[in-house]
Amino acid sequence: MKSAARLFLILLILVPALAMAQEATPEAVASVPMGTSACPAPATLSGEVTIGAVLTLSGGASVYGGPQQAAIQLAVDQVNEAGYLGGATLNVIFEDSASENEQAINAMTKLVEEDQVVAVLGPTLSREAFSADPVAQDNGTVVMGVSNTAIGITDMGEFVFRDSLPEAAVIPGVIGQATELLGLTRVGLLYANDDDFTVSGYEVMRDAFSELGIEIVGEETYATGDVDFNAQLTNLLSGDPDVLAVSALAAEAVQITLQARALGYDGYIIGGNGFNSPAVLEQTGADSEGLIVGGAWNIGNPTPTGESVYFVAAYEAATDSSPDQFAAQAYTGAWLLAEAIRCADSADRTAVRDSLAGIVDYATPLGVFSFDENRNPIHAPVAQIVREGRFVVLTAETGVLGE
Amino acid sequence: MNVTQQIINAIWLGSVYSLFSLGYALVFSVLGVLNLAHSAIFMWGAFIGLVSVLYFGFPVWLSVPVAMIGAGLLAVLLERVAFAPLRARGAPRISQLISSIGASILLVSVAQLIFQQLFGAQMLARFPLGSIPTDPIEGLPFNVTPIQVIILVVALVLMVLLQLLISRTRLGQRMRAVAFNTRTASLLGINVGGIFVFTFFLAGALAGAAGVLFGLAYNALTPFIGEAIALKGLTVIVLGGLGNIQGALIGGFVVAGLEVFSIAAGGSNYRDAIVFSLLFLILLVRPQGLVGQKEGTRA
Amino acid sequence: MEFLSSLGISEPVVQFALINAILGLSIYLTLFTGMFSLANAGFMAIGAFTGVIITQRLGLPLPIGVAGGMLMAGVIALPIGLPVLRLRDIYLAIATIGFGEVVRILILNFDPLVSGLIGMDVEITGGALGIKRIPKLTETWHLIIFLILISYFITRLHRSRFGRAMAAIRQDEKAAANMGIDTVYVKNVVFILSAMIAGGAGAWSGHLTRIISPGDFGFDKAVDILAFAVLGGTSTWVGPIVGGFVLTALPEVLRFADQFRGVINGLILMLVIVYVPGGLVNPAGIRRIFERLRGRKSPSAVPPTSTEAGSKA
Repeated sequence: MKSAARLFLILLILVPALAMAQEATPEAVASVPMGTSACPAPATLSGEVTIGAVLTLSGGASVYGGPQQAAIQLAVDQVNEAGYLGGATLNVIFEDSASENEQAINAMTKLVEEDQVVAVLGPTLSREAFSADPVAQDNGTVVMGVSNTAIGITDMGEFVFRDSLPEAAVIPGVIGQATELLGLTRVGLLYANDDDFTVSGYEVMRDAFSELGIEIVGEETYATGDVDFNAQLTNLLSGDPDVLAVSALAAEAVQITLQARALGYDGYIIGGNGFNSPAVLEQTGADSEGLIVGGAWNIGNPTPTGESVYFVAAYEAATDSSPDQFAAQAYTGAWLLAEAIRCADSADRTAVRDSLAGIVDYATPLGVFSFDENRNPIHAPVAQIVREGRFVVLTAETGVLGE
Repeated sequence: MNVTQQIINAIWLGSVYSLFSLGYALVFSVLGVLNLAHSAIFMWGAFIGLVSVLYFGFPVWLSVPVAMIGAGLLAVLLERVAFAPLRARGAPRISQLISSIGASILLVSVAQLIFQQLFGAQMLARFPLGSIPTDPIEGLPFNVTPIQVIILVVALVLMVLLQLLISRTRLGQRMRAVAFNTRTASLLGINVGGIFVFTFFLAGALAGAAGVLFGLAYNALTPFIGEAIALKGLTVIVLGGLGNIQGALIGGFVVAGLEVFSIAAGGSNYRDAIVFSLLFLILLVRPQGLVGQKEGTRA
Repeated sequence: MEFLSSLGISEPVVQFALINAILGLSIYLTLFTGMFSLANAGFMAIGAFTGVIITQRLGLPLPIGVAGGMLMAGVIALPIGLPVLRLRDIYLAIATIGFGEVVRILILNFDPLVSGLIGMDVEITGGALGIKRIPKLTETWHLIIFLILISYFITRLHRSRFGRAMAAIRQDEKAAANMGIDTVYVKNVVFILSAMIAGGAGAWSGHLTRIISPGDFGFDKAVDILAFAVLGGTSTWVGPIVGGFVLTALPEVLRFADQFRGVINGLILMLVIVYVPGGLVNPAGIRRIFERLRGRKSPSAVPPTSTEAGSKA
């Protein structure tokens, strides 16, 4: 009964939202508080239930760890305010990995062995996950990646989960859709060749374009931290592409977009997860026209879920800044753990694992969320195009530039 | 292959590298020390300029002198805390290099704290859009934006002014005397400590100017903007001959030219390997740099 | 053990402290000989990738992996050292920074490079992601024994003719050459030994962190390794070991400081470098303090410690 009611609720939100998509008025979606649970409030659980989070709060990747921390704290506060765990309160211990594999292992060991947490969110980076997740697995503790996109993360064991869609689950769909709708024929590829996130994104892009029989007019690389892409872009543009496909982190995505436009390119730019930051739209201004973005979540999504609207408002009120995909996935991760603990009605690590693995159709900012049998996320990714400074659903009509 | 555009790209990138490296070279030329915290001062310069615009409502052009003064004072503080105590006890240049690394780590981590407080957890900050015109100048056979021209001009002007200061003024004469031999200089009645402080102020001010212009050109500031350019800057000043100010300018264009050329030739994967191999080779074959005469002609 | 873990010192922290102590000793050798080389992160990378390729791709046991890593680092150190060690202080430092970057980029591009050469696709270093899911084969006792062996070797070295030649070169290279010491030979041998120790540390650590990628061995790592030796002090071999332990434990002990952790960590490092000449373990400095306590006048001419005397200014 309950799930039918929820489905109805979702339809109630989604249908008008979809209907209004043509006009693209994101404000029209009503806010729906998180916590539509499949289970009754826990009866036996009491006291304090502690989870941990290993995040890059300092070091080179701290731009991702910061939003994740804010989002997890927000989720934990909301869980407690709502009395989501019945008589128990949720508590979170944050540990900094300093963007280093060694410190990620140390932090994970501390949380799992010393603090005896029920479950852990993180670590932020895939390479840190490959280092530290085995510590949790060996101790029979759930570890859920909220930003790990590398291949093979959940192969590390049955206690390893993630709620972050790998690029392979997002990019091919977006590229297929864009190619079909916009009739693309020539693509230029640009990516950072020293970062596992951007390299795996590039590989997925390359394969998707090859399979569609689109001519790749050039492939160029740069190093993480670069700010000047003029030489690479000039090379690519001399091949006269009708789309640039870019696998980059947010800071570089901004520069690449701006510099491509300054070089006179006014065609499409397809970006992966890295373009999925509010900063990209904010910082590129009018140059963002024609940016096609695929990702797990986007603040500019013209058809968000009610939970997404709720999350954005709460996050902005709590932090004075707009959430990015990292924040949305971390927030969802914390709620998923809360739901698992609630449904298990226990703080036992194995019970929580089994309960988490059984989560189906949970309403989150990312959409209706389930885990597959390999503990990877299932939810619909977003594919949008920027028109006149905001995201709209990509269609044959919205895709026509230069009107 | 768009050759003209690639040449423009190289000139533009070269002016960014040169501008960054002027202060770097200046400190080496007078003090003979490698200040690896130069990139942190550069970042702080950009940050100070940004704060003056965002929080004090200064016009954008005014943020340049503000950043120069702010970064200059920060560099003086750095000199007093990280270099002067070592010099006082006669520690070798290498100790000062290590100390500058420590200072750099500290300056970046403090900036990180402040960025998080001011700009939120993502730490991305920028000058207001439209602070400078970003559209390409029209009527040219290639693409170039006004800020690119400004940076090139500023880099050249600052280099000329610096050269004039060092070669034509009393102050410059004293700086050269200190560069030549500290002990002789102090016997001649030159206030050596004062010259050191002034040199650091000047180098900091140059880094500050570079930081703001860099911030305006690549409108995305984080506490880490200095790190990527730090090693490039090192290559630039080695190529120019450590401590050779004209050399730093030329070195900037050589490194940029090499980078752009390696990309244009289809080797973007090996761009940095080529640049750092050159660094390696130059030190072995011509440690005085591409344009230098021989060692000992600093400043 | 209880006390340590309450401070945040768990077994992995001890293991990384041991690795870092070994790394500290690797750069100690070159610093003690008056060579300011920042190449050890590069040699660590070479040792790590060689060691892991031996155990994972070839399926050989860990000791062979470590030996292979050390050997490979040593073999590569020879042609690098011969030309580079002619350079002094800052010039040597910069050249070795360049070497480290080139090593990192070559490992990054190793697979396409080799694939192109032999005409078929191979996966050896794994590009940006590196080699992942390496089993944790390294045990704490492996590292303790390795550290003891290295330390023993270094103490023996110090007492040998060769060790006295090292000290002489540090004091004054020209004078050492005039005394008939083959400075080129001594410097190159020390450079190779240093590279081998760093390579060994890399191979051990690769089987501890479970993943190695080229980005782990960049300029930051070179600076870390330098910091172990400088903070600990390089007048005796005990200094780098203490430095490695302190700098590994410090961030863990400082976890209570939350967002101020990085700043406090940086501040402590900075203060020690500037205001504690000779590092934490400095017998000469300690002796001076004792003498001062006993009311004797300290000698006016302070003998330079080895870090400080890394070169003549």
